[in-house]
This record gives sequence, structure tokens and C-alpha cells, in this order.
Amino acid sequence: MSEQRRFGESDHEPLQQDDVLKQAISEWRDELPTRDLWAGISTRIESQPVTASRRVVFTLPQLALAATLLIAVASGLTWMIAHPPAAPNNNGPVIQAYGAPEEETQGKIVQANFADAQFNAAVTDLETILREERGRLDPRTVLIIERNLKAIDAAINEARMALNDDPANPYLNSHLADARRRKLDLLRTATTLASAGGD
Amino acid sequence: MGVLRNPQIVPTLHLFPSSKLVPVDDVVLATQGDTAAFERVYRAHMPRIFNLARRMAGPDAAEELTQDVFVRAWQKLALFRGESSFATWLHRLAVNVIIERFRTLGTARERFLADSEAVLDVAPAVRTKHMDLSMDLQAAIEQLPHGARQVFVLHDVEGYKHEEIGDMLGVSPGTSKSQLHRARQTLRGLLNKKVAARES
Repeated sequence: MSEQRRFGESDHEPLQQDDVLKQAISEWRDELPTRDLWAGISTRIESQPVTASRRVVFTLPQLALAATLLIAVASGLTWMIAHPPAAPNNNGPVIQAYGAPEEETQGKIVQANFADAQFNAAVTDLETILREERGRLDPRTVLIIERNLKAIDAAINEARMALNDDPANPYLNSHLADARRRKLDLLRTATTLASAGGD
Repeated sequence: MGVLRNPQIVPTLHLFPSSKLVPVDDVVLATQGDTAAFERVYRAHMPRIFNLARRMAGPDAAEELTQDVFVRAWQKLALFRGESSFATWLHRLAVNVIIERFRTLGTARERFLADSEAVLDVAPAVRTKHMDLSMDLQAAIEQLPHGARQVFVLHDVEGYKHEEIGDMLGVSPGTSKSQLHRARQTLRGLLNKKVAARES
């Protein structure tokens, strides 16, 4: 038999060469089915598409790496909660945007509304801080921030031009306020990141 | 020769192409649901699986069992992880399918040869020059209970160890050993009777 002993040596007393059984096994001919079996198989498997049920198996190093990453992330989050980032600039005011037209002072925090003058001042302050601190940010992060700021500025400009023609349009006013809020949020996030050293 | 009497009988050499002849890609494609690739896998491996089924279960059940094996293989393809060759994986799957078929048939007593069962010829028979031994063995093995037959085929033809056979059949390695011993004796007895009948 060509396939005999494929799985290792027998653990039983082997048949002797002069044993009629040994000879019979060696002469036991192979045969073929009397009909083509594929048609029946094909019919049966047609209704059983192979499912993507492959088991995902991780190697030990992969599991160790995943465990290490999990510990690192958990530790990082714990540290961040225990050590909140310091204010971006202790010498200057922290500008906090909100939608109401009022203005009030809470210690060093200056809340900006979205009237053009206050908005522009808040943006200018934040942009100044960001310019001074940007060296502490990853260049790729700076690139993303600048790209987003450009997109928001474009949206603000479009809304302003449209409002010139239709100043009372509630949608355009809401859109402009939303775009300004997003710009301030982005600038605040960027300055906070930069003040924290880009961590 | 049997080849002339039965056109279905062809030489082993032509029936068992090496599994290396089957591109691994076909197995991969089949795993992704490609039935044409799976048909190529079937064509390459069918002869060996069919003859395994024929020897373990008999010619009457072999064709249906072969189909069952390949349907099962299709269902389980996603679990083939390449830790062994595809041929080895398929062979083991086929053995399991065949054993499952007979597991529910009868009790252990009916499946195996009882200690008291007559052994026709204890002594090993001498080598004969007759060329019909293959047919004789086929006829003789049909007289063995399913369990004893499976132990004999798995051990003496397919090369499994008693430990593995015990696991597959759900019996102890000792039972596998004793069944092999008695199956050999019974088959020798039957073969010698056939040979003696032809020579007389």
C-alpha cells in the first residue's frame, strides 16, 4: 500500500513477510467508484456556502503584546486622570468660548461670545498661544490642525458672504455660529495639547 | 487479473497521486467558497478517500461515505489551519466520518470479535503464489464485525497506532490490540481456506 505507515511505525507486532495476510494487504487493489460522485457532492454543498468561521488564533507573543498594550493604555488613562494637564499659559487668560452674547470674568478665564469682535479677539489670543507652543507638537499634528482650521475658515467665510445677502436667515446664522464654535474648540484643544507638550 | 475482469479496478500507482500534485492554492480558494477549486481538490483526493471507505466500511457504503466525507470537508474547510498537510487532515476527517457512521450500529459486542469467537487458523499461513489474494481479502474482511474491521484497516493498512485507534473508536488501546490480534487470526484462517480450496 502506497499510503501505508504514513502516520508512523506500527506499535503492534509487524506482519511477517511470509504471512499470507501481509501478501494479501500488499495486493489489495484500489478501485474507483462506479459513478461520478461529484454531482451529488456539488448539489449538497451548493446550499452550504463556506462560512467565514475561521477561528482566530493568536500566538503567545501576540497575546503578550496585546496584554502589554492594554496595561500601557490603562496606565496612561489612569495617569491622565490623576494628573490633568496644566493651563496652557499661566501668564495669560484662558479663553473659553460659549454661545451666549454675555461676557463675564471668572478669575483668569475670559469667556468669549461669537460677536465678531470678541470672537476675533479670542481667536487671535489662541492663535498666538498656538504659534508659540507649536514647536512642542508633532509636525503631523500641526499639519492636521492647520488643515482643519483652513476648512473651518472657509466655512465661516462662505457663511458670512451668504449672510450679506440674507442677514436674517436663521440657518446661515446658526451655521456661522457653529463654525466659529468649532474653530474655537479646535484652537483650545490645540493649545491645550501644545501646553501639555504634545502628550 | 482483476483489471480485466473488472474495469473499475485500476492499479494503485495511477490512483494515488501525491498530494503535492494538488496546488495548495486550490485548497485556499476552496476555503474562500470556490466550488470549482473544491472540485479539483475532490478529484485529486477522491481515490484515496474512496478506497479508505471501501476498506473500512465495504463497497456498498463506500460511495455514499465518500460523498459524506467531502461534504463534511467543505463544511469544515474554514477550520483547516495548515498545521498538517491537507491530505493528512482530510484522511483523519474521513476516518472520523466513517467511524461515526458505524458507531451507532449495534453494541460493542456486535462491533468487535468476542473472545470466544472461533479462530479458523491460528498459525500464520505460508506465502502463496496465488494472485487472487486481493479478492480473497476483500471477501474475508466482509466477515469481520465493523469494529474489528476498522481496527485492522486503521492499523495494518493505514498505519495508525493503537493509542490513536482507541481514541477514534472510543475504546482502550488494549481493546484495539486484542481486536487486531483476533482479526488477523480470523483473516488468515479465511484466506488459507480460500487458498486451500483453490489448490485442491
